[in-house]
Amino acid sequence: MGSDFYQLSILPFAAIIIKICRAYTNSQEDFEDYYQEVCLQIWRSKDNFNQESEWSTWIYRISLNVCLTYLKRQKTGKKGIVSDPLPEEVVDDSKAFASDEINELYSAIKHLSETDRAIILLYLEEKSYEEMADIIGSNTNNIGVRIKRIKDRLKKLINQKD
Amino acid sequence: MTKSIETIWKEGFIKEAHLTAPKVNDLYNRKSQNIVDKLQNMFAINIKAIMVGSLIMLAMMSLIGAPFLGIYLCCLLVPLILIAKKELKKSTDLSKGQSSYDYLMSFDRWLKSSIETYSSYYKIFYPLFFLGMAIQGIVSDAGGEFIAMLLKLLPTDIIILGQPYYIIAVLILLTLIVARYSVALYQLDLNIVYGRQFKKLEELINDMKELRNETQ
Repeated sequence: MGSDFYQLSILPFAAIIIKICRAYTNSQEDFEDYYQEVCLQIWRSKDNFNQESEWSTWIYRISLNVCLTYLKRQKTGKKGIVSDPLPEEVVDDSKAFASDEINELYSAIKHLSETDRAIILLYLEEKSYEEMADIIGSNTNNIGVRIKRIKDRLKKLINQKD
Repeated sequence: MTKSIETIWKEGFIKEAHLTAPKVNDLYNRKSQNIVDKLQNMFAINIKAIMVGSLIMLAMMSLIGAPFLGIYLCCLLVPLILIAKKELKKSTDLSKGQSSYDYLMSFDRWLKSSIETYSSYYKIFYPLFFLGMAIQGIVSDAGGEFIAMLLKLLPTDIIILGQPYYIIAVLILLTLIVARYSVALYQLDLNIVYGRQFKKLEELINDMKELRNETQ
């Protein structure tokens, strides 16, 4: 990968990739693998970017699609397509961020289905319903209904811990 | 919980230092862990392996005095190369920049169509492969001795294509059994390697479909 492309086109948007990859991984090692895979796929797909949407939207799409179809390395040697929820005690990146509240929120997000994780991440990133529907491939009404349910579930999960 | 999840999110990421990107080393040469890329690689390796394998087989069969079997097996393998090339080309149309639903659906369509194409060919390949090997066995010196021994034990006047009828009957029966289970054999192989991923993919797609069809 040309380092210029990484420096100019990926690094300024690294926060997006980090936030998404964290939601789909349970360890620092997995997180770094996912991050690098997303960067690789952004670089490989750059010629397909048609400038109809913003570059950041493109990065959201690639990041989510990569996380949804990533072949996760497992300690048993088997491979899984996506991050399987792990029991709390084996999740070793529960201190990934400095804020305990964020770590708790991520911990709750990881209990959601892969699709719900994508929806709530986009919602928290203040994407409009239209943008979310466009990135995920749904319609705005259904996104709205689903967000309400996800938020209720997250609140319950966080309150259970408190 | 006193704060809303929106507030937690906003306040938690105010200090961008928490979002430090991991080091990226030699990314260009990194092997992809994406399932689409993995399958593309598998098809590409298949093409090379079949090409090399068919040439080795041709050479080996010629060396053991069965050049026609070598040519026959090469001919059987050529369509596999063509199929793998065609499927590889189709997979390049899968853009990861589509919406998640469209991406997963196009991947699923490609996957199903590839499996179907391979299955159709394996329905023919496995029985013909078996038949070729079996006929070579029968016409070989060792096979001739074995059949002569059988004829002493089970003498018969019914000879078909120069062989006792029961040899032909067993050959047809075994070929039919191989044909009957050829698709199952291929799918078993696929399931062993990718079964878990395929199941997860199916679950993801169902969830996405449910999201699209949800009503208030």
